[in-house]
Amino acid sequence: MICEEIIMSHKKDASGLRNSVDSGDSKHVQTKIMSDIMRDDVETIKDPVNGYTNSQEFRGSITLFDAIPHQDSLDKLCAAKAIETDGRNVRLDLGKCIMCGRCQQAAPDIFLIGSIFETPVKVRQDLIRLSGKLDSQGQKPYEQMGKELKEKTSKILRRSLAIREVDAGSCNGCEVEITALNNAIYDIERFGVHFVASPRHADVLLVTGPASRNMEIALRRTFEAMPDPRIVVAVGACACSGGIFGDTYATTGGIDKVLPVDIYVPGCPPTPQAILYGLLLAVDRIEASKING
Amino acid sequence: MGRMGEKVKSCLVNSNEVHMLLADKSNIPEACSYLQDELASKLCSLISSDERQTSGAFVLRYVFEVHGKEDVFIAVTARTKESAENQLPSVPSIVKKFPLAVFYEREIRDMFGIIADGNPDARPLVLHEHWSAGVYPLRKDFDIKTKVSRDTGKEYPFIKVEGEGICEIPVGPVHAGIIEPGHFRFSVLGENIINLETRLFYTHKGVEKLAETMKLDQALLLSERISGDESVANSLAYCQALEKIAHTSVPKRALQIRCICAEMERIYNHLGTLAGISTDVGFSYGSARLNILKERMMQLNSVISGSRLLFGVNRIGGVGIDLDAEKLAMIINTTQIVQEDFEKIISMLRTKSSVVDRLRNTGIISKKVAYDLGLVGVVARAAGLDVDTRRDHPYAAYPTVSVDTHHDTPQNLMEYKVNLEKRKGDALGRFELRVEEVIDSIRMIDELISDLYDDNILTTDTLRLEPYGYALGYAESHRGQTIHWVMVGQDCDSLFRYKIRTASFVNWPGIEQAVLSDIVPDFPIVNKSLDLSYSGNDL
Ligand code: SF4
Ligand code: SF4
Repeated sequence: MICEEIIMSHKKDASGLRNSVDSGDSKHVQTKIMSDIMRDDVETIKDPVNGYTNSQEFRGSITLFDAIPHQDSLDKLCAAKAIETDGRNVRLDLGKCIMCGRCQQAAPDIFLIGSIFETPVKVRQDLIRLSGKLDSQGQKPYEQMGKELKEKTSKILRRSLAIREVDAGSCNGCEVEITALNNAIYDIERFGVHFVASPRHADVLLVTGPASRNMEIALRRTFEAMPDPRIVVAVGACACSGGIFGDTYATTGGIDKVLPVDIYVPGCPPTPQAILYGLLLAVDRIEASKING
Repeated sequence: MGRMGEKVKSCLVNSNEVHMLLADKSNIPEACSYLQDELASKLCSLISSDERQTSGAFVLRYVFEVHGKEDVFIAVTARTKESAENQLPSVPSIVKKFPLAVFYEREIRDMFGIIADGNPDARPLVLHEHWSAGVYPLRKDFDIKTKVSRDTGKEYPFIKVEGEGICEIPVGPVHAGIIEPGHFRFSVLGENIINLETRLFYTHKGVEKLAETMKLDQALLLSERISGDESVANSLAYCQALEKIAHTSVPKRALQIRCICAEMERIYNHLGTLAGISTDVGFSYGSARLNILKERMMQLNSVISGSRLLFGVNRIGGVGIDLDAEKLAMIINTTQIVQEDFEKIISMLRTKSSVVDRLRNTGIISKKVAYDLGLVGVVARAAGLDVDTRRDHPYAAYPTVSVDTHHDTPQNLMEYKVNLEKRKGDALGRFELRVEEVIDSIRMIDELISDLYDDNILTTDTLRLEPYGYALGYAESHRGQTIHWVMVGQDCDSLFRYKIRTASFVNWPGIEQAVLSDIVPDFPIVNKSLDLSYSGNDL
């Protein structure tokens, strides 16, 4: 009860928090914590698609409509140089897009930003959208994706999937999302996926950033230290194409300029779901390379 | 200006900035010392720009922030040229008096090829050893697309600590966890750290040069990506600089939304840092709980801004998002739930001796060190410095909220001063301060929402910029003060120069001091408790 009071008094007076309750009746507090743990709800999400994780407002993907651009400056508008127009057709590179939403504002008849997250692909070319060809990807619930991943990994690897993450010059936005995969809400470990400290233990190399010149050597070395079969997943617009940082004196313009990339996960940053989807594709790849020897 | 009188060629005042152009560059050290000693101001940025085409010289601006009640920045401006063919331009170094200047001067040598005479550290900083010599990316005659050849075989000369039983431990740039890259070179005696040298700039991606090729609105998107988790603060500093040049008045509602988002950014990041500290002391239940709260805040971010990292909030002249009644209610609800849970978790953490004991007296940064290195943000406050850009140089809607309740009444102030003197600058202090700031931010958001103006979210004025106009923009991110200097290009829709100095750039040297009394296994805790961004430093 005393501890209830301690906590209640904190609620009343936030400044009370400044003084440590260290010396308080810690045994009672202890009991309280235990009961607190017991009473915790399950936080891990089953299906975030219908929850608000992917809010309607979320900018996750772009759909192109077949309309004739009424302004020719569309391509100049995009900071990431993801749009190309020839007066009639629009070509959009999702691998470069940083999801700023400026194109939709300028030409809502052509661009529609949606919250779809199933955007990762195996071939870079598949990230190119051409006006007139609508993509009709549905959405799979997170839980279902995770289960598929688990089944596949245990079938193919007979164990869990080990990932080594390397930041090759990201803005740290993509790291925030990869870290989020480990929180209790997404809890990626329950699907048999875990992050390892050494590349020698890894099946998958998860890379972010435009492959900055100063990281190029370290990135190559990390890859070389991995045992075969090894899969490289490029996470985020930067990793797919250089993103907003492009191809300059300080970057190499995408991970595939340095390493063979197997999976591209677009987005700036991609959501945890999108990254998980990318991993699902990665496992497919492992299967294929095993079969091909 | 007393004794500096005849050495100053001209003086220019632009809102809260005073620019003193020195008659000769040899007076730089004297002018800087004068500002520090007589006007109690501190060096907060060193900006160089290549103005050879427009005015025939490189221009250096040593920016000082005046401490105390006044909201003033003073820039000592000097010019330097190549004296002869093939000879690099130079300026006298100010390192002797300003130890923190060593990094600025090394950066300028790498990026502009301007030598600071008397700086004892001649090693490269931004451009690692494999870059060939004679490459100066921020000079105007350097093309951004240039692919510089790679010199192999060179090694970076780390400081050698020698003696019986002393070993070196190299760590990085690729670390064990999911974090950004950087290299740490420990010299240890047993487990005790004798010296630490950090080597950064692995994520250098040419942000400042890239900005010079962009339109103003595009560079805004770039500023959000200087450091992804600091997007609101950095883009805010950028927008404010431009708005200052153009004398734009931003609608009040927009200013308030900027502050609401800036505080939401502070909350989710502090939650993440506290969770990280909890992980690093080996208490995973605490970190799991805190990370749940962080995720809740990020989901809230996504609802109100369309991005989980609040990308797209700021626009030049206002904001790009509006908050309707539904969203406001969601913000209030979520922050309330978060606060309730947060307080429970924190009281629990405080009862764990395994947490508190590891943090107490770990990673100490003394007040003197903090002052000499010009540290900012939570790190500086935990060491007993009373700095907060939101209060010292009020911007956006902060003048209308009680940012700092310690300065309300004389009693509070007195109490606070005593409290400041007691601060030890250890990891526990930084932990407690972050806790306090989360609660404060939630209170500020409440205040802002209850007083939200019914107004436009974007100014209707056209942005009236003048060619080569310049100004400073600044904001207090969750890491501390970020200062951006923007100089507009000739066409008024591009940037001539964009100098970014984030809180991480000034706080990184602090870590080398902080670990000196510690053992190697405490390093992750110290690192986390300082919460530094690699990308924000490396640019
Ligand atoms: S949303 Fe993507 S394609 Fe559209 S302007 Fe922004 S970066 Fe370019
Ligand atoms: S893709 Fe976007 S969020 Fe990810 S590192 Fe690049 S700029 Fe940052």
